[in-house]
Amino acid sequence: MIYDEPRFLPGGDRYVTVEFGNEMNLELNFLAQGLATALAQNGTKGVVETAPCFASLLVHYEPNDIRFADLVAELRALIDSLGPSEDIELDSRLFYFETMYLDPWTKECIADYCAKITEKEYDPDFVARINGLEDRHQLVRVHSGSEYWVASLGFWPGLPFLQPLDPRAMITCPKYNPPRTWTPQGTVGMGGSASAIYPVATPGGYQLFGRTPVPIWDTEKRFDVFDGNIVLFRPGDRIKFVPVTQAEYEAAEAKIDAGSYVYNMVDYQRFSVRNYHRWIATVDKDERF
Amino acid sequence: MLEIVKPGLETSIQDYPGRIGFWNQGFPPSGPMDSWSFRLANLLVGNAAGAPGLEAQYMGPTIKLQGDSVIAVTGADMKPTLDGEPMAIWQSVAVKAGQTLVLGPARLGARGYLAVAGGIDAPQWLGSASTFHKASVGGLDGHASQAGQLLPVRAAQGTPGRRVKAGRQPAIAADRKWLVEAVPGPNDDWIDAAGHERFLATEWKLEARSDRTGYRLEGPDWTFTEKATDKPPENGSDASNIVDQGYPLGAINLCGQKPIILVHDGPSMGGFICPYTVPSAAFWKLGQSKPNDHYRFKSISVDEAQALARTLDEICSDDSIE
Repeated sequence: MIYDEPRFLPGGDRYVTVEFGNEMNLELNFLAQGLATALAQNGTKGVVETAPCFASLLVHYEPNDIRFADLVAELRALIDSLGPSEDIELDSRLFYFETMYLDPWTKECIADYCAKITEKEYDPDFVARINGLEDRHQLVRVHSGSEYWVASLGFWPGLPFLQPLDPRAMITCPKYNPPRTWTPQGTVGMGGSASAIYPVATPGGYQLFGRTPVPIWDTEKRFDVFDGNIVLFRPGDRIKFVPVTQAEYEAAEAKIDAGSYVYNMVDYQRFSVRNYHRWIATVDKDERF
Repeated sequence: MLEIVKPGLETSIQDYPGRIGFWNQGFPPSGPMDSWSFRLANLLVGNAAGAPGLEAQYMGPTIKLQGDSVIAVTGADMKPTLDGEPMAIWQSVAVKAGQTLVLGPARLGARGYLAVAGGIDAPQWLGSASTFHKASVGGLDGHASQAGQLLPVRAAQGTPGRRVKAGRQPAIAADRKWLVEAVPGPNDDWIDAAGHERFLATEWKLEARSDRTGYRLEGPDWTFTEKATDKPPENGSDASNIVDQGYPLGAINLCGQKPIILVHDGPSMGGFICPYTVPSAAFWKLGQSKPNDHYRFKSISVDEAQALARTLDEICSDDSIE
C-alpha cells in the first residue's frame, strides 16, 4: 500500500528513512526521487546526502546543523509542497546499450553453476516459462521492448536496480538459490521484478539472459560521459537495451577497448509522472511484444 | 615516504570522514573503523584530524621510514618498535630516515593507526583517499598496502613529545566485553516485545566471518510482530524481508535470523530489516573488537546518540593534546 502519510524512521544519530509505502510500485520511487530532487533544490541545511530506494528515501544528515525533529518537520513541509505525485517531473537521461541476449558468456556461466553447484533450467527458458511466454526469443522481445527506470543503485557500487516503464514488459522471476559465485561483467539479468547490469564480475543471484559490453564502471577515467565519477548511472536515469548480434557486440567491445566508443545517451528529456500515467492508462497491460 | 616492508594483515590508507556523498550510487564511506583513535593520531602530529593515515588490522605492518619525520601510533596496542626499541603510543615521536617501525599483533583492541606529519599524499577518489579494496577504489591503487610499496608523505613539520591527555583516549575493553549503544529503528516495529527484550538481554558473540563490510553476531533467534508476516509478497518470503531500502551506516541488519552490523565498507541498500542502528559515537567499539568478543547492547534515543557524537567530536580536538 501507499501510506496516507509518509513515515519518518530514525536510523541512529545521522539518518532518517522516509517510507512512502510497503510495496514495489514505481509511484513510490517517483515520490522518493521527487523528494530527493526537492531537497537538493531547496538546499535544506544539514542534509548531507540522500539515497532513494523502491519505496523509501534514506536521508543522511548532520545533527550539529539540524535536529531530528526539525528535519522531520522540514521533510513533511517539502512533501506537502510537492503536491500529488502527478506533479513530479524529473530530469532523466536515456542510455541506449548494445546488448547481446542469449549470449555465449552468460550461457557458460550458467553451465558452470550447473556443473559445480546445482542443476537448473537454462535461465532464459526458465524465465520465459514461468511468465507464460512462448520461448526464450519472446523473452528477448519482451525484455528489450521497454525503457528501464533506474530506481536505485546498490548491492555493488554502480549496480542499477531497474524497473520496466512499459507494463507490457513486466515479468518476474525468483533469484538463484544458492547464489552464484561469479557473474561476468556487463551481465544483464533479473530477480523479482527488478532487472540489473553487473558493473564488474561479482557473485550474484539474478537469472541471466544477456550481456552488454558498455562499461558502467570506470576507475581509469577513460570515458567523459562519467563526468569524473567512477559509476555511470544516477537514480532517475533510463536505459534501453538494444539487441545486437555477436559481431555487433564485438565491434562495440573493440571500440571500448580502444577508448573510441561513443556512448549513445540523450539528455534533453524530463520524465513527467502525469504524462506517464496518461500513457499507461491507454496500454493493455496483458499484451506482450 | 614510507616504504612498506611487510604489509601486515590488511593495512590500508584511510581518511575521515571518508567518501561521503555517493551513497545513492552505492558507494560506502569507508574511512577508519575507529575514528576516535584515528583523529587523535593526526592531531598528535599536527595534521587536520581527517588527514590520510594508515589503518592496520589485527597484525600490523613493518615500515621503513625514508625521511626524517614525526609520527604517532594510536588505537590497538600493537607493541610498536623503532629499530627494535619499544615506541610509546598515544604520543608523537620524532623518527629518522632509515629507521624501521614494526607494528606487531594487536594485543589490546583490533586496529592500530599510524599518522605521519603532513599526512599520506594519496590521490582523491570521489573526494576521499579512503581505501575500499573490495571494489578496488581508493588508497594509492585501489588496494590495501603491498610489500615494497612507497607511500608518499606531504611535507610538514610535526612536534615530537605531544601526548593525549589522561582520560581522552578510548577505553578498549581488556575483558573483551563491550557495552554498545543502539538506537531503535528504522524497522524496530517489526520485532515483538519479547524480541526486543531478548536483543537487549543477550551477550552477542562477534563471529570470525566479520570484516569492514559487516559484523556478524551469534545469539538467539528473533521474534516478530505481525508486520513481518502480514505484508505484500514483493517484500519477500522471510519474516526479515522488506521491500529493498537504503541502509544507515551502523544498521543492525537482520538477514533471516542472523544480525549483521553494517560498517564502513558495507552495502548501501538491500531487502532486510534493520531493527536497530549503532550510532556513530559507538563505531570505535566495533573497530576495536575482535572475533569472539562479546557485545551487550544498550538502547538509547536519537537525542542521546547525538549528544554522544558531540562529546566525541569535542574529545577529538586539540584540547585533548598536551
